[in-house]
Amino acid sequence: MSTPALIGLLLAVGIVTYLYRYSMIGLFASRNLPGWLHALCRHIAPASFAALTASALFVHGGEVSIALDAPKPWAALIAALVAWRTRSVLATIGAGMAALYLFKFLL
Amino acid sequence: MAHLGRTKWGEFLAGCRDEAPLQLGVLPFGMLYGIGALAAGMPAWLAQLASAIVFAGAAQLVIVQMLTAAAGALPIGLTASLLNLRHVLYSASVADYVRHLPRRWRLLLAYLLTDEAYAVAILRYQSTRPDVSDGRPAPAGDLGHWYFLGCGFTLWACWQLSTAAGLLFGATIPPEWDIDFAVPLTFIALLTLLLRERAGQAAALVAALGALAFAALPYKLGLVAAILLGLVAGVWASRRGERAVQDGKEVDR
Repeated sequence: MSTPALIGLLLAVGIVTYLYRYSMIGLFASRNLPGWLHALCRHIAPASFAALTASALFVHGGEVSIALDAPKPWAALIAALVAWRTRSVLATIGAGMAALYLFKFLL
Repeated sequence: MAHLGRTKWGEFLAGCRDEAPLQLGVLPFGMLYGIGALAAGMPAWLAQLASAIVFAGAAQLVIVQMLTAAAGALPIGLTASLLNLRHVLYSASVADYVRHLPRRWRLLLAYLLTDEAYAVAILRYQSTRPDVSDGRPAPAGDLGHWYFLGCGFTLWACWQLSTAAGLLFGATIPPEWDIDFAVPLTFIALLTLLLRERAGQAAALVAALGALAFAALPYKLGLVAAILLGLVAGVWASRRGERAVQDGKEVDR
């Protein structure tokens, strides 16, 4: 993406985010948000992270490729196990990167 | 939370002090964002500016990851905007505590209303003004907004500094080290923390499968479609779960 396009994108996201933050303390009087909005917001982060991770692991140039000799999915699997056991973000990143280097060397 | 004092500065410093421990968790994310932004090809000055403009860690990491995946501006903007929607909930949650403030204060506090600042400030508000929802005016001499400002300022400063540290550090990492892979690894770590309930698991699973099913859509718009489909699955599973609980109660009777 060109730098001007990226500036425009970041400004747009920044303005939208600011309007969210200002919405109920400056723009609208009603404080009673519908229940479905709470339910929706709970699922946005898991859905986004899962879609982006699946895409990073298995999509290359618009095509799905699931190969047994690809290092990244295996490294991600190790990272997921470490994440599940330790619940630590730093340990997950450390183990995942170490596993990636190892699998790149082995595969 | 002991009160440092009943002055503006005392409240501000109390906010800074109570927000400080959370910075241990914020710092690695800021650095990771800075490192990832460089690896994704963002100019360093713009990556730093984004931490001030967007000022939302998860959204900034998502933007970085989608830039790495060569996504178009529209899907990136949609995804980041969707991810930040939760701030409307925070805004509604603090509204009763700040509505009496002058507009300039509300404009400023809105800018600082992030996950971590909200989490600390709302605890203090709930303990000092528990009867706020009765619609009573704020007590005379209420200084809660100075505490909120202290929380927000501390987080803001830490976010800018950790971004800068990540940018400096990231510039020394050779591209062949695949450091951009740290961003999806972070998402994996966050997923394991988030996926405690069935409905969230359904949302994540459907979104992940959707990302593969719609992979061929241009500009990575398939990611937006996958996330929306995951949300439908999540909300549907939540409703089903609630109904199952209600049915269970009826059986108990």
